[in-house]
Amino acid sequence: MTAINEFSVAVQRRFGRQRLRKFGLGLIPFIVLITLWHMNSIFVWFEPVEIPPIADVWGAIFWLQSDCPGILAAIEGHNGCQLTNNISSSIARVILAMVVGVPLGVAFGIMAGMNRVVSAYLEPIGVFMNSVSGIAWIPLAIVWFGVGWETTLFIMLNTIFWLLFFNTMMGVRAVPKVLIQGVQTLGGSRLDVILHVYLPGAMTSIITGLRMSMGFGWRALIAAEMIGGDSGLGFMIFVSSAEFKTEEVFLGVILISLIFLATDRWILVPLEKWTIERWGLVWKPT
Amino acid sequence: MTTVDTAPIRRKSFKKMITDSRAIQLVILLIGVLILWAIISAVIERPDRYLPSPLTTLFSSVDLLQKGVLTSFYADTLTRLVIGSILGIGLGIPFGLLLGLNRNIADMFYPLMNFFQSVSGIAIFPVIVIWFGNSNTTVMIVILYTAFFPIAFNVLSGVRSVPMRYISAARTLGATRFQIVKDVLLPGAMPSVAIGSRLSIGFAWRAVIAGEMLAGQAGLGNMIFAGQELDNTAQIILGMMLIGLTWIMLDHYLLRPLESDTIERWGLVQR
Repeated sequence: MTAINEFSVAVQRRFGRQRLRKFGLGLIPFIVLITLWHMNSIFVWFEPVEIPPIADVWGAIFWLQSDCPGILAAIEGHNGCQLTNNISSSIARVILAMVVGVPLGVAFGIMAGMNRVVSAYLEPIGVFMNSVSGIAWIPLAIVWFGVGWETTLFIMLNTIFWLLFFNTMMGVRAVPKVLIQGVQTLGGSRLDVILHVYLPGAMTSIITGLRMSMGFGWRALIAAEMIGGDSGLGFMIFVSSAEFKTEEVFLGVILISLIFLATDRWILVPLEKWTIERWGLVWKPT
Repeated sequence: MTTVDTAPIRRKSFKKMITDSRAIQLVILLIGVLILWAIISAVIERPDRYLPSPLTTLFSSVDLLQKGVLTSFYADTLTRLVIGSILGIGLGIPFGLLLGLNRNIADMFYPLMNFFQSVSGIAIFPVIVIWFGNSNTTVMIVILYTAFFPIAFNVLSGVRSVPMRYISAARTLGATRFQIVKDVLLPGAMPSVAIGSRLSIGFAWRAVIAGEMLAGQAGLGNMIFAGQELDNTAQIILGMMLIGLTWIMLDHYLLRPLESDTIERWGLVQR
């Protein structure tokens, strides 16, 4: 008994009592839900087509990967590896859209933030573009680019670009004038001001925009893949749903949210915290 | 300190007027976009398929109006939005309040809510379709699901942000639990309710469009989707513009004033 006591004390010391309590309490609904789900497959309150057994959802991973020769082939994108192919094609689009969209959004945002005339003309367009949510662009994108890669990429880019544009613009505007004048007095060129004042000053706002655009963009991407895509997780769940393969749909939905949660929790939130610590303008000139 | 402004009153130059007045800028922008649009559509091949000219789009709207389709689509979409967000907000407020009242319940359900919030309404759509088919119910559930979380989270944080002092004060004066909820917590959470409602309705608006597109239910979302299938690009662009303009109007003239009024009236501005 004392061994157990000592162990629990050690665990509490290691993780903190409050965090343990929160973790334990938070686990309860998940356990209840999973138990109910499992009981459903035993007592069949709902047909397996409506709610598939947990084992089937787990099995769908192997079923989708059944033609996959190995890990190396999965990385190369072998035709048989359906699940990994869909995951990687979704993620590749996110990365590609980020690589193209983030610099563009930041560049235009800085431009609009610096210049009143530019912002006067770009801002209303941005408001309109943000209101025509990414999803509403899908039909037009299909007409322009056809069903496939370009359409989904376009939807994602469109969502990312305007959100980042707005956030960068707001960040640049919030940079105190004194700092800019300081650099200019010391002989800094326009480029110096952009690189050393505007960009670091707007950094926290840019990263917040990045996190937001990831949240909106991921949703828009899934929708775009459903309607106008030919690969990706959204495409997978949509096709599986039409074929009544509910276990694949469940697997896809769970994966979609897990991927999003993981990127948010382990990449974007730490990044946001770090930027605020590193670049946040805590000091305010009076 | 008394200073006499001796600077001569200068008349605003024309250039200054153009760069300063917001209305004029908007008009210039609008005309510029329309001209650019017209030029592009005149230059490209097969403009009817890729980018119909502004006039064609206008004619198609007249055409759709005459058939009476446009108004009925519009009404369908708005009805869905209103019912869906009322249901979502109506469920979200009591749930957020419940979580805000009890720390244990909040800690219990917070991770679950976080998980389900990250499963966006659109991603859950294929599951709902299997359960309810391509029906209006499916679209409504997706809207309700999307509208529920932002308001619930906001009410939760709103209730939490009410200073303990107020609750203690009310309790000292002999208030019952119900009275504290009704007279302290609910008014204190009012600004969050307003902010959350605006967020919820914004998300719901996206969900309406996506849901109509995917489930094929009559409405603006379906109108633009059908436009793509019928090769009627003018109809797509018209629908998109309506979607954008409706949201701007709704946000600018209804939700934002409502939000700022609520914050002004109920906001706990502490000095």
